[in-house]
Amino acid sequence: MSVFRKHKSIVDRAASDRGRHKKKIEKAIKDSIRDVIADESIIGQNGTKKIRIPVRGIKEYRFVYGSNEKNKTVGSGGGHKVKRGQKIGQKRTEKAKGQGTGKASNERGDEYYDVEISLEELAEYLFNDLQLPDLEKKQFKFVSQETIKRKGYRFKGIRPRLSKKETLKRKIRRQKIAEKLGTYDPEEGERFPFHQDDMKYHHIKPKVKENSAAVIFFLMDVSGSMSQDRKYLARSFFFLLYQFLNHKYEQVDVVFISHSTHASRVSEDDFFKVGTYGGTIISSALNLELDIIEKEYHPNTWNIYSFYCGDGENWSHDNEKSLDLFKKIKSISQLTGYAEINEHYSNFADEHEEAVMPDGYPWPSFSAWKNEELENLWSKLTPLCDSKFKKVMIGQTAHIWQAFNSLFGGGK
Amino acid sequence: MSDWTEADLVHWDEKIIRVAEDLGLDWHPIDYEIIDYQEMLGAMAYVGLPTHYRHWSYGKEYERTHTLYNMGQTGLPYEMIINSNPSIAYLMQENALYIHILTMAHCVGHSDFFKNNRMFDETNPDNIIDSFKSSAKYVRKLIEDPSIGIDNVERILDAAHAIKYQVPRSAGLTHKSRDEILAMEKLKMTQDQTYTPNLSKVPLQPEYNLLKFIAEHSKHLAEWERNLLLIVEESSKYFIPQALTKVMNEGWACTIHYKIINELNLPDHLHLPFIKLHNQVVRPQLGQINPYHLGFTLFEKIIEEGGMSEAMIVREVHNDISFLRFYVDEEFMEDQNYFSYSFKKDKKAITIDDISDNDGWEAVRDEMINNIGLNRIPIVFVDEVEKNNTLSLIHEHDGRDLDLSYATKVFEHIQALWGDEVRLISMVENEIWEF
Repeated sequence: MSVFRKHKSIVDRAASDRGRHKKKIEKAIKDSIRDVIADESIIGQNGTKKIRIPVRGIKEYRFVYGSNEKNKTVGSGGGHKVKRGQKIGQKRTEKAKGQGTGKASNERGDEYYDVEISLEELAEYLFNDLQLPDLEKKQFKFVSQETIKRKGYRFKGIRPRLSKKETLKRKIRRQKIAEKLGTYDPEEGERFPFHQDDMKYHHIKPKVKENSAAVIFFLMDVSGSMSQDRKYLARSFFFLLYQFLNHKYEQVDVVFISHSTHASRVSEDDFFKVGTYGGTIISSALNLELDIIEKEYHPNTWNIYSFYCGDGENWSHDNEKSLDLFKKIKSISQLTGYAEINEHYSNFADEHEEAVMPDGYPWPSFSAWKNEELENLWSKLTPLCDSKFKKVMIGQTAHIWQAFNSLFGGGK
Repeated sequence: MSDWTEADLVHWDEKIIRVAEDLGLDWHPIDYEIIDYQEMLGAMAYVGLPTHYRHWSYGKEYERTHTLYNMGQTGLPYEMIINSNPSIAYLMQENALYIHILTMAHCVGHSDFFKNNRMFDETNPDNIIDSFKSSAKYVRKLIEDPSIGIDNVERILDAAHAIKYQVPRSAGLTHKSRDEILAMEKLKMTQDQTYTPNLSKVPLQPEYNLLKFIAEHSKHLAEWERNLLLIVEESSKYFIPQALTKVMNEGWACTIHYKIINELNLPDHLHLPFIKLHNQVVRPQLGQINPYHLGFTLFEKIIEEGGMSEAMIVREVHNDISFLRFYVDEEFMEDQNYFSYSFKKDKKAITIDDISDNDGWEAVRDEMINNIGLNRIPIVFVDEVEKNNTLSLIHEHDGRDLDLSYATKVFEHIQALWGDEVRLISMVENEIWEF
């Protein structure tokens, strides 16, 4: 007779290996997330929406035969008519994996896991290592969190906060004294009860976690030269920035400014629904920012961060003025970022991979457009660049993440 | 919920055993573990072994099966049985009684096959569970060792797994030691004066056991790293006989469960769903080889032509390759309508190469054999260790080219294990290819 038994183990034996596998998958997610962050389907989503991203499975490599003519597969045709030369498919079919014992499979082919994550999780993966630089303690503080902390003991308190340890200690002390004084003899087996005076209670104190106040200015060029593609890149950049701030900082003010020849303060919704028109005077936006700072966000009280994104095609007579204003903004800001959308940059990045984003000075020593536009704002801003002023160039979606890293990745 | 109690299992088990004994089967006693769906997934991930060492790839296997099952692409197996003594088999709690009856009858077939087929002569069913257990313990010890840790263990296991099928495939043949080979060579030299082999060559003859060779000859591996390689090699040796007999083993188990169940006189409410399930298991799959179907139909043919006694001998002496070479004939290939196909670069399409008619059936059979078990895995052997300790490997090219992207990765793993220069020679599109 065979033996039957209910499985004894209640532990999930695969748990640790699944956890380990999950870690590897997470790494794969992080690696591929950078390719999907500027994806149409993500931009403009709110936090509740789940995003499906395909993640390449963790491969296990073995010697396998390639999918070529010499490596034939055999199958049964059932009742179907089969003819030599008959076309039966487009790509090599995956062979079903055998079940049961003795698997010696060499199935290959890319495995993709469709991983469903929320924007919140995406942000978690993306922004884990990034932060707003130089967040300083300013006079004005936000109360962002209230926690309760134990602090010492008191003789009065409510029952749940009774400290058993301290109470017992006091009782033992009293008992010892009583023994010494001869008022109590433990040998007699008499109880030595707790006394009201033994009672000690935890004292608690609310603790306020304070965050420095911060305001972030989003400045976007919505002039006519911002083509569909440029607009898309700028929008993606700000969207990511906005997600980053929302994710990392509970209490930040964000001021949205869009500009063409003149600037206006807009709502979040309007900011992301950009329509484009008119010429470009960057200084208009910078002036508006300075106005708002003067009226609402005093630099002594506020950490100020400013991010500008446009295509850099400013009216040339405005460049000097903009430069001065950028200087001024820089002097009162923790960080000022200037992002320029420039599709030429793509080519450059491909050809000079090592030169991509070298510490915020990605000025290419390359191509005709350098000489031709030597006087543009980008090159004028170069002297400003240091840890408090960074400029980044975005030529394609892949650069958005690079730009991000160079802005918030701790100096790099 | 379920339509059975343990008493039912015991009742049918007794009947199954009686019929199986009458058939002349000889199997290890079977311990059935009754487990739930989650545990079944776990058991499958570790190929049934209750004491397998841990590695993330088994976690992946778990998720993979789980996903496929959820998408309805695969059912869970009705049977999972380990070549041990006693054999350990799993019954899934959620299954209905008729499935359990089929599974138990099927497991008797497997256990009988394990015990009698000569490919399994060198497996060690009495100790296999303990042997895996001590390996698992060792791996756990290394993981917990702060000077080693999981990352280092994975580094070695990942690399070792990449060549885990690069072990000798001639189960049942004993492998000669260097001294034995040396003695043979010297004997040959005395018989034939012109025969002058290089006796200082390492290895003297092509070495197919990559894992063991690297474990023993690499100059850079730490003791625990060598031990890990040997653990993987041990586990490969356990699986090789099963890989060599997949078609036969499943075919035999199906033959046996079918025979047994037909003798059990099951009541209709159990018999009808059984027939349906049986037909599902052994049906041909379009464009694929279903080993259950192939093995079952071949054994049916053998029993029809030579009786059960012939089938009993076949299950003892053959492996999949010889089984197919001996018993597949034109009529069988034509009946089953097997054909071969491949991807054509120029046409960017898969087209049929050969069909099982008078002209083509042998070619299709040969390709079928090429696609069975370990034949789907390329053979790479150690040719020699050259000066500067360069490890020279050769891919035994049989017409099929390696997948280069995969081979490159495996090559890197071998380099990491060997620690010195490694060379791998193969052929790609009829040209010598060196890694």
